[in-house]
Amino acid sequence: MNWTQSTTTRLVLVCAAIALGAAQLPAAAAQRDAAPKADFVRGAKLWASNCTRCHIVRDPKDLRDDQWIASMYHMRLRAGLTGQDTRDILRFLQESN
Amino acid sequence: MTSQTLTLRRTVISAVLAAAFPLAAGAAEPLEALQAQIEALQKQLEQLRNEVTQQRSGGASQDLAAEVSKLKQEVKSAQEWKQANTVIHLAGYADAGYTDTKNASGTFTPFSFNPIFHFQYKDLLLVEAEPSISIDETGETTVDLEYAALNLFLGDHAALVAGKFQSPIGQFRQNLHPSWINKLPSAPTGFGHGGAAPIAEVGIQLRGGAPLGAGENRVNYAVYVGNGPEVEIEDGEIEMVESEGFGRDRDGSKVWGGRIGFFVPSQRLDLGLSAATGKVAGMMESDIKRDYEVVGADFAWRPARFELRGEYVRQKVGDAAVSAAPEGGEWKAWYLQASHRLGNTNWEPVLRYGRLDTPHASGNQKQWALGLNYLFASNVFAKAAYEFNDSLKGAATDDDRLLVQLSYGF
Ligand code: HEC
Repeated sequence: MNWTQSTTTRLVLVCAAIALGAAQLPAAAAQRDAAPKADFVRGAKLWASNCTRCHIVRDPKDLRDDQWIASMYHMRLRAGLTGQDTRDILRFLQESN
Repeated sequence: MTSQTLTLRRTVISAVLAAAFPLAAGAAEPLEALQAQIEALQKQLEQLRNEVTQQRSGGASQDLAAEVSKLKQEVKSAQEWKQANTVIHLAGYADAGYTDTKNASGTFTPFSFNPIFHFQYKDLLLVEAEPSISIDETGETTVDLEYAALNLFLGDHAALVAGKFQSPIGQFRQNLHPSWINKLPSAPTGFGHGGAAPIAEVGIQLRGGAPLGAGENRVNYAVYVGNGPEVEIEDGEIEMVESEGFGRDRDGSKVWGGRIGFFVPSQRLDLGLSAATGKVAGMMESDIKRDYEVVGADFAWRPARFELRGEYVRQKVGDAAVSAAPEGGEWKAWYLQASHRLGNTNWEPVLRYGRLDTPHASGNQKQWALGLNYLFASNVFAKAAYEFNDSLKGAATDDDRLLVQLSYGF
C-alpha cells in the first residue's frame, strides 16, 4: 500500500468514525433499555407516510410478527429510520396483522 | 339370614322404638315431636348434601386450575419462537420475462431468483445477504452476491455496515432496482452494470437517520469507505467503470463518500445528494492510479397516486499518462420517471425518459420507455414496456425493445 498523506488522513478519519460508533455502544444499550414504549398510533402514522416512499405499501398481513422484526430492521437501514420510528412502526404492524 | 338373628333384630328394633317413642300410640303430641325430628333430620341431610356438593365442586375448580396452568405452559412454549433473541427470516424477489429487440430474435429472459437471508440478534445486529441466482445465455447457472453485510445498530441514529453493500450513491441502486419495486422491466439507461451509477462497494458504512426539527421531517445519511471501482481498459481506452464491489484494491487508495437525504412527509418529498472521491486503477494495471469522483442528486415526489422520480449521476475518471489508456473519461446519466395508479383499478401506466453520456459514441443512449403495469398485489406485478432507444446507428444500444416481465417480491 502506498502511504500517501491523504490515505493516512482518510484512515484516521475512518478509525475515528468507528471509534465514535464503538464508544456509542454502551450508551446505545442504555438508550435501548430506557427507550419509551413503542407507540401504536405514532407507528400507524409513520407507516402511512414512510412505507410508500420506495415501493407500494406492504400490508401488515403480509408477514408474521417475527418476520416483521427482521423486515423492519432491514427497512430501518434502507429508509434511514430512527430506532424509535422503527419500534413504533413495528408495533403497529405486529398488532395489525 | 338365620331366623335366630331375625328374631333378635325384631326384638331390638321393638325395644328401640319403644324407648324412642314410648307414647307412640294414640297421642298427637308425640306425632308432632316425631315430625319435628324428621324435619330436623331432613335439614341435616340437606346441609350434608350441600357440603358434599361444595366439596365436589371445589375439586373441580382445582382440576380446572391445573388445566389452565398446563394450557398456559403450552401457549408459552408455542410463543417461544416468537420471543427468541434470534430471528431468522427469508425474503427476496424473483422474476421472469420476455424481451423482443429490434434486429434480434425475441428471447425469454431467464428466471432470476434473489433470496435475501436475514439473521437478527435482538435489536443489535442484522446480517443480510442477497445472492442473485440465474442462468446465462448458454444455460450455465450464475450466482452473484448482490450484497452480504453485517449491520450493527449503534443506538437509535446509526448503524455500522460492514461487508459488501449496495452503493449508497443515489436512489435507484439501493432503493429501487429490485424487479418488484422498479416500475419498468429495465433499469434506466446508465443505472445498470457498467453505466454511470456505481453498483456496489466492499467496505464499511455508517448510516442512519434523525428527526429534523420538532415535526416529522427526517434527515438520513450514509457515509462509506471501500475498496472502490476499477476501470476496464480495451484498445487503449477506458471501456467502462466496473463497480460491482471488489474484494481487492489495486490502487491501494480507498474510495469514500456518501449520501445525505431529506424526507418531508407533509410534501411527500424525498431529496438526496451524493458524492464520493478516491483513486481507481485499471483491472490489469495495479500501480497506475487515477482520480475518481462521483456526484449525484435524486428526488421522489408522490402526491396521492401520482409519483415522479428523478436522478442524476456523474462518474469521472482522471487521466494517467503512463497507462495503456492515458485518457480518463466521464460517464453521466439522468432519468425522470412518472407513474400513476389509475382510479380504483390495478393498472399503472409509467413513462420514463433517460440519457447516458459516455466517452464512447456507441455507449451513449437516449431512451423513452413507456410501460403499463398490472398490480395483482402490492408485491406481485405484471409489466409490459416499450423502449425507444436512440444511439449510434447500428449499435445495439440504438435498437428499440419490447419487454414483458412478471415479478414477485416476498
Ligand atoms: C428507502 C426506500 C424504502 C423505504 C422507505 C421502505 N422500503 Fe421496504 N424495501 C425497500 C427495498 C429496496 C426492498 C428490497 C430489498 C432488497 O431486495 O434488497 C424492500 C423490501 C421490503 C419488504 C420485503 C421483505 C424484505 O425485508 O426485504 C417489505 C415487507 C418491506 N420492504 C416493507 C416496508 C415497510 C413496512 C416500510 C416502512 C417502514 C418500508 N418497506 C419502507 C426499500 C424501502
